[in-house]
Amino acid sequence: MGAPASDDIVVDHLTKQYKKLRAVDDLSFSVRSGRVTGFLGPNGAGKTTTLRMLLGLVTPTAGNATFGGQKYTDLHDPIRQVGAVLEASSAHRGRSGRNHLRMICRAAGLPDSRADETLELVGLTPAAKRKFKGYSLGMKQRLGIAAAMLGNPKVLILDEPANGLDPEGIRWMRDLLKALAAEGRTVLVSSHLLGEMQLLADDVVIVAAGKLIRQGPVDEVLGSMGAAQVRVRTPQAAELTTALAAIDAKVSPQSDGSLLVSGAEAAAVGHAAFTASVELHELVSERGDLEQVFLQLTAGMAGIR
Amino acid sequence: MNLINAELFKLRTTAIWWIMGIVLLPLYAASVLANWAQFANTSPDDAAGTDQAEQVRAALEPINVATSLYTSGQFFGILIVLLLSAIIVTSEFFHLTATTTFLVTPKRESVILAKFGAAAIVGVFVWLLTTVLNMIVVPPIMSQLDLSTQLGEGAVWRAIGLNLLAFVLWAVLGVGLGVLIRNQLAATLILGIVYVIGTSVVGLIFYLLTQYVAHWFENLQVLVPTTASALMISGTELPGNPPRWVGAAVLIGYAIVAGVVGTLITKRRDIS
Repeated sequence: MGAPASDDIVVDHLTKQYKKLRAVDDLSFSVRSGRVTGFLGPNGAGKTTTLRMLLGLVTPTAGNATFGGQKYTDLHDPIRQVGAVLEASSAHRGRSGRNHLRMICRAAGLPDSRADETLELVGLTPAAKRKFKGYSLGMKQRLGIAAAMLGNPKVLILDEPANGLDPEGIRWMRDLLKALAAEGRTVLVSSHLLGEMQLLADDVVIVAAGKLIRQGPVDEVLGSMGAAQVRVRTPQAAELTTALAAIDAKVSPQSDGSLLVSGAEAAAVGHAAFTASVELHELVSERGDLEQVFLQLTAGMAGIR
Repeated sequence: MNLINAELFKLRTTAIWWIMGIVLLPLYAASVLANWAQFANTSPDDAAGTDQAEQVRAALEPINVATSLYTSGQFFGILIVLLLSAIIVTSEFFHLTATTTFLVTPKRESVILAKFGAAAIVGVFVWLLTTVLNMIVVPPIMSQLDLSTQLGEGAVWRAIGLNLLAFVLWAVLGVGLGVLIRNQLAATLILGIVYVIGTSVVGLIFYLLTQYVAHWFENLQVLVPTTASALMISGTELPGNPPRWVGAAVLIGYAIVAGVVGTLITKRRDIS
């Protein structure tokens, strides 16, 4: 046993069976220390259930999940080690944001002053004394992050933190998480917003229908799929197709009249056209983005289960 | 201790404590007036059977009048404590704060124990409030009834002490029941209605059973929690009633069962 020292979070053959639904199915992955890991999957893929099992809120049917080799429920003083933001609406409506944080401080034996410090960190100081029911969704997310940061933990876990945020809020969230990760924290953030993850994450773990689809550094996952496509436009489609067949590239005509070439770099496509004396109007290397990869990988698995 | 402190902090940072306070005060006043009126207007001659007359006579002994009056507000005070204790649990689910609570303290039995502790403190507080008010308003009532204050009597102080025990036990019971009935609205409605109306309904059922089925059913009536707590604080042994300690034992039994079952359920339940 014993997790490698560089892994902060290890999910090991985790399974959750509800009456008829296998929400999480023999899922294993690890989250590396000091990096931002995006936990991606369509809605209903089992992301939230996985995170809740990781945090000891939901009991797994099988398997286990650990932080540095220890279950969350066995951690000494857990909120000083792991901070979690699970749902934006989890505070008493009639309690002020500051009192919500103080209540956590008291239970965890932290000084009340931490409440004010984390409110400042997330920019909520002006709304500290306002009741939670008067908070906007963005303010609720900020309060959730403030709560997670009370114990100044080394590991942060966030479930769909960008949900319901406006573009400015999303940008703020991204910058904050990047800054927190730059201080050496491990960040695990679930999302179904792929563009966002491409900007934020170092690694990705992709799940669908409760199963692991792919994990690894963002570049690697992108590189393994959907990359290296070249879009060309030419009045001599037939000649170019013949020339490209000679270098083992695959050509698929698109509805807009362009050709999408896979299996060859842009330079090779240009060279083949030049030697065959084919006139080109456009030659673009199209890099696959995470969204494309994601849709390919999870194709047919995103339905309602 | 941190956790009990946190639970009390939760309670006093929302509006619930003063709403319950506002509800309690008029109910308390009504209880005192009702008690007063009852003792001012009842005489043993009104009672029908000899058995009943004997009970009424015993209840009208100064010492028993005193224990009743000095524990005025028990019925509604305990109702408020019961509801507050249940809400200490149900509000966590109603406002989805259970997630936060169990993230801070993954050892769920500690959380439930803290809730028992906090509820017991609430019980002590409400007991203190009603007792202090009784100390102020009852002596003038006693002198109006041509009785001495009776504060020199050990039985009065014992009743006040046992009243405290009743408040604490009901608080524990409330937390346990709050775990069982997790829905806040359902919990407050069910507990409130069963407590207030259930007592009379069950009393009626026991009366009918005693009258028409078998006389020994009467002895089982102490199993009704409200009857048990009322019995516990009676000044002297009333004829035809089980001894006081039975009332205490019944309440302690309920509190332990609710506490253990509540803790076990909370430990197993998925929080989502």
